[in-house]
Amino acid sequence: MIRRGRYAAATVAGRVAAASSRVARKGGGTAIGGLVAQIICPGYVPRGLGQLSRLVLVSGTNGKTTTTALIVAALRASGTSVWTNHTGSNLERGLAAELMRRGTWHGGLPAACHTTGVFEVDERAFAALLPRVTPAVVVLLDIFRDQLDRYGDLDTTARAWRHVVANLPDQTIVVANADDPLVVSVAQAHSGRMIWFGTDGVGNAVSPDPWADVRNCPQCGERLIYDTLTFAHLGRYRCPTGDLVRPEPDVGILSANVFGVDRLEVALRSGEWTGGAALATPGLYSAYNCAAAIAVTGVLGIGPADALKAIAHSGPSFGRAEVIHTPEHELVILLTKNPSSANQVLDLLSAEPQALDTLILLNDGIADGEDVSWIWDVEFERLRAKRLTVGGIRAHDLSLRIKYSGVQPIDGDAVVELGISRPLDRAMERADGRLAVIATYTAMLALRDECVRRGWVDPFWDGGE
Amino acid sequence: MTAVGPVLRLAYLYPDLMNLYADRGNVICLQQRCAWRGIDLRVSDVTWGGQLAERHDVYVIGGGQDRQQRVAGQSLIREHADRVIGDVADGAVLLAVCGGYQLMGRMYRDADGVVTPGLGIFDMETVHPGVNDPRCIGNVACMWNSQRLVGFENHGGRTYLGGGVKPLARVLRGHGNNGQDGSEGAVAGTAVGTYLHGSVLPKNPHLADHLLSMALRRVAPEYCLPPLDDETEWRAHRAALRMMGLSIDG
Repeated sequence: MIRRGRYAAATVAGRVAAASSRVARKGGGTAIGGLVAQIICPGYVPRGLGQLSRLVLVSGTNGKTTTTALIVAALRASGTSVWTNHTGSNLERGLAAELMRRGTWHGGLPAACHTTGVFEVDERAFAALLPRVTPAVVVLLDIFRDQLDRYGDLDTTARAWRHVVANLPDQTIVVANADDPLVVSVAQAHSGRMIWFGTDGVGNAVSPDPWADVRNCPQCGERLIYDTLTFAHLGRYRCPTGDLVRPEPDVGILSANVFGVDRLEVALRSGEWTGGAALATPGLYSAYNCAAAIAVTGVLGIGPADALKAIAHSGPSFGRAEVIHTPEHELVILLTKNPSSANQVLDLLSAEPQALDTLILLNDGIADGEDVSWIWDVEFERLRAKRLTVGGIRAHDLSLRIKYSGVQPIDGDAVVELGISRPLDRAMERADGRLAVIATYTAMLALRDECVRRGWVDPFWDGGE
Repeated sequence: MTAVGPVLRLAYLYPDLMNLYADRGNVICLQQRCAWRGIDLRVSDVTWGGQLAERHDVYVIGGGQDRQQRVAGQSLIREHADRVIGDVADGAVLLAVCGGYQLMGRMYRDADGVVTPGLGIFDMETVHPGVNDPRCIGNVACMWNSQRLVGFENHGGRTYLGGGVKPLARVLRGHGNNGQDGSEGAVAGTAVGTYLHGSVLPKNPHLADHLLSMALRRVAPEYCLPPLDDETEWRAHRAALRMMGLSIDG
């Protein structure tokens, strides 16, 4: 048991650190305060989360930020008080920063406050955190190849998850993606209640690409048979030996129509209920995020119709199809982190009625993955762009990949510029109005910082409630 | 473009098991460099359980996870050993990267101590020191004859070359085969093994064309590989050298 004094001291010190960082405009902002709080009080996060009346943790490779935001939107619309890490700062220090920011002066909760915590957690930090907290709900979205130089391979992530999920108390409810065989093999380790989400009617009668992240049964290694495929390795599959059976979804995706970067129209089923909505979070993958959110909020006592209505009214999350208005342009920022998310973004752009002016930014920071090999598994052959500009720290690698895709921008050759602000300027010079910006994580942060400097958007530590 | 040039058959081994680090870029690279020259490169994906009935002129294999590598290694020995070893001895080109490279040695002992025998095309052994030893991860530059190669390595196993094989290159930055003797990769006749991802060929067009020249030597001895405009390739190559603090002109 951590003494209350130490927790309070950590809160105060962390806040001072965060405030100094903000004054110094160091960027990154809040996480620095969280780091300080954690150093002073190593059990800061479990203790802070333990004060909440209910805790929901969301993890997975893709979709954490959006799913968390959708759950929060539905909870807030129902009048629930919520704490969340809305900027996607999802390492333990990011959670510490959020706890520190939200509490009273000593970090505690205001008296008689019934607060639900909804936090996204990085997939590796998740395995470290889970044994030290008692969440009401745990959400397992998906496992894709991502940052191999940092996380190791998919099996490593799955093994770590399986271990912590197997040790969850029975009263924790696990909400998991029935369409991801690797997630199912993890989630089935849970002895308590399960709620599955997945496709009912969406998907094509094809198999995953040979180089998809998962092709074989995680239990026995036999090649999985797919009846339908949604994208990547998600779909309706079965193992020929019968040792991995896809669970029937409790929340099903009946249909999902992608209308470019603007919206996604979904129809969902939850038990007997069916309903539809247009979402501002675009892309087929958003249908999964939405289904996950409906499943979670159902557990927390919100009916699917009310939840979907609130979700449909919520805007996109930080850097995820977020729109930034400049004096003459509209930037649509599309975060990509790995082949599966990048392929989804390319599909999104090709669903636009007319090809968009496009800027693609590739960085190789620690948070992006220092190995940029993954761009060779992105199907740039599917890229459809009007005028194309390529930038970021690794702009030359990216322009090489695009050269070998054989794709030509519709209007002239691609322009290549290193860094962030020069490619942004060049892209805007040539763009008609709307500019799609595909960016890796640190490139997205740098782009946003640049937009803050130019006065087009608020810095993220002030934004979002 | 209508192909009027020679025909090359490429077998891409285990794209389903051995493509963790997007080494598929090597196949894309060879495909385009052939297409731009009118060479008819026919690619067959040889997935797990697939057939490899006819002779191929080029074999390409990439890196995978330990578990998949074990499966691929067993399948390779059981089903395709004679074909691949025979064709390579007869002048077919092999490009083997990372885990695929390890499988072409005499044996691979993985982190769990499980030994997978390899095809023995390279006289070498690879030993994984265990999960507690750090992996060899990071950017690599190395000297290949008088030219440089650049890429990214990420491997747990350490490879030690025997007397019957030569290293592909000498390490300038990074770990290479084992982080000790300065060697990177292996060459045995028309077989080339390396730890470099990136993918390795697009950013090293001289290596890509060297492989194509070797493959064509048997199929079309008279054919001379036309030069391509490789400015984009060399820009990415030079950017990688600069990133590692190396001068860009030799």
